[in-house]
Amino acid sequence: MDFNETPEQTMIREAVARIAGDFGHDYFVTKARSGEKTTELWDALAGAGFAGVGVPSEYGGGGMGVTELAIVCEELAAQGCPLLLLIVSPAICATIIARFGDDAQRSRWLPGFATGELKMAFAITEPDAGSNSHRLSTTARRDGEVYRLRGTKYYISGVDESDAILVVTRTSVDEETGKGRLSLFVVPTDAAGLERTVIPVEITAPEKQFTLFFDDVEVPAENLIGTPDDGLRQVFHGLNPERITGAAMACGIGRYALDKASAYARERRVWDVPIGAHQGLAHPLAKAKIDLELARLMTQRGAWAHDCGDAMAAESANMAKYAAAEAALACLDQAIQTHGGNGLATEYGLADMWGIARLLRTAPVSREMILNFVGQHSLGLPRSY
Amino acid sequence: MNVVVCVKQIPDPAIPGQLDPQSNFLKREGKLILDDSDAYGVEMALQLVDAAGGGEVTLVSMAPNNEASGLRTALAMGAAKAVLISDPALAGADALTTAKVLAGAIDRVKPDLVLTATEATDGYTGTLPEQIAGILDLPSITFAKKIEIVGATVKVDRQTEAGYDEVEAPMPAVVSVTAGVVEPRYPSFKGIMAAKSKPVDELTAADLGVTPGAGQQIVSVIAAEARQAGEIIEDDGEGYLKIIEFLEQQKVL
Ligand SMILES: Cc1cc2nc3c(=O)[nH]c(=O)nc-3n(C[C@H](O)[C@H](O)[C@H](O)COP(=O)(O)OP(=O)(O)OC[C@H]3O[C@@H](n4cnc5c(N)ncnc54)[C@H](O)[C@@H]3O)c2cc1C
Repeated sequence: MDFNETPEQTMIREAVARIAGDFGHDYFVTKARSGEKTTELWDALAGAGFAGVGVPSEYGGGGMGVTELAIVCEELAAQGCPLLLLIVSPAICATIIARFGDDAQRSRWLPGFATGELKMAFAITEPDAGSNSHRLSTTARRDGEVYRLRGTKYYISGVDESDAILVVTRTSVDEETGKGRLSLFVVPTDAAGLERTVIPVEITAPEKQFTLFFDDVEVPAENLIGTPDDGLRQVFHGLNPERITGAAMACGIGRYALDKASAYARERRVWDVPIGAHQGLAHPLAKAKIDLELARLMTQRGAWAHDCGDAMAAESANMAKYAAAEAALACLDQAIQTHGGNGLATEYGLADMWGIARLLRTAPVSREMILNFVGQHSLGLPRSY
Repeated sequence: MNVVVCVKQIPDPAIPGQLDPQSNFLKREGKLILDDSDAYGVEMALQLVDAAGGGEVTLVSMAPNNEASGLRTALAMGAAKAVLISDPALAGADALTTAKVLAGAIDRVKPDLVLTATEATDGYTGTLPEQIAGILDLPSITFAKKIEIVGATVKVDRQTEAGYDEVEAPMPAVVSVTAGVVEPRYPSFKGIMAAKSKPVDELTAADLGVTPGAGQQIVSVIAAEARQAGEIIEDDGEGYLKIIEFLEQQKVL
């Protein structure tokens, strides 16, 4: 067993940390607050090939895996610049298209993912389906050479900055179980009949969230990814990278918070010693650090398992997402506490990370659904729903 | 045009450094990284080679334990190859011995230009560029904030306290560059993967015919004096008078 990263992985870490560090958290927050995008950061990152690290090399990508993409996500967040779009576009969409797309689809979209010039949002969540993807009601009906999409999606990130959306739809129903059979479509964001409205959220991030209304949106049949009615399996393949990169982002946020907290606790004196000498502060920080490192380990294992096709990928990815979100919140909360009143000051750049850290407990899959999964699959407990 | 860049691999400055209690030398056992101040020289060299339309950048570095991680970073930026001198006999080498070693390695490459930083972030001696130039009998220009090659001449804007001087030297020459000279590029993903297969030539002091001298001894280390607390003046509308008084005392006004 070898817990060392390869020299190349370490260098990816360092290079991404440098890029993100040069932009920095203030840049990230300024852009997010003014409703602008972090385009310069994305371009620097993508231009150096880091958005496309996981895209197969025959399409111009880095030919690496989720392990490396997770490193990219973690380092960005550790510099205070977590980018949700990386989780959606390269981690979910590119992974699904690389795995299930036909030759024409791969040639059409993967080169754009490789350079980062193509951004693709991912839409599965619906107002009435919630965590139950069997109940999706957005439908796609074949009509000659096209499909027609009808329905509503919500909480879809980054649609305004994406060229297209990978939309999960129901194309038929299994008569026996009554469950929907799913199919995935690439829908251009400017397709006729597709409307969107912003959902205001209390998250400081450049990506906005949208409700999408599909009113008979016509999509060419060649935009259906892979096999019709096989969407659920395809989605599951993309959800592990989503969870792993989401976990990596959470780990990065945890590191960001602990770096700030420990630096502050070493310097700040209220009595005769630095406040870090008080165990009341040191122990919670140490515990947060332990939880964080445990979460990082599970994230790495999830990435490794996904990359080598190991069967433990789903369990590890779920556990990593759970542990990392909890660790990030604990780190951030304790960092804020360590900073006293300053913890809530804009200047210290901690409280503004709360929304995104807190989001990771709910999305991409909620804490409860992970606990359901572990109860059922890891412990063999009866399913509750 | 072929350019050699002398690069130092140093302990990560973000991690508080430690002195060996016996020798008082900086502990350099762990992982070393490329000294940030050397990234400017690497970038400058890459740009000069690019502008010349051909040639390559060779790195020269002396480091303990065959440490090459910092070199890999510079190779990932685009340098073509590296020469690494690693030898237990060179532990604690003084600046002159280091200069002899680096000069020996540079001499094998016979470059058109040698670039260095003005000083290393972990040592601050700042004498190495001139020593190398002295040993190789090459002209030397320090504190370059801009470099241009015209024919066989290197033209430099040399940073001074008042501004800059325009100076030039025939090549080959040794030029030390400041942090302002160019903005170093980020190693790209492709660069990182390519660095893996770039040659790193490992040499010892004996290979270069250098016999380490008596070296240096650090006899004692004294903590820097803590900065005195400043004087705080409440501005009651007349605060500016205090400032003028202070500046007069300092003979600034
Ligand atoms: C900022 C943001 C960005 C997002 N980006 C995207 C995106 O880009 N694309 C996309 O498709 N979606 C996105 N989402 C949606 C996100 O994935 C969902 O919000 C999340 O999966 C939870 O689903 P829900 O909101 O429908 O909650 P519900 O399913 O309605 O759940 C409500 C609560 O009930 C709990 N619950 C539900 N079922 C059970 C059960 N069986 N047992 C125990 N507890 C249960 C849940 O854990 C949760 O706490 C985003 C959400 C947010 C907030």
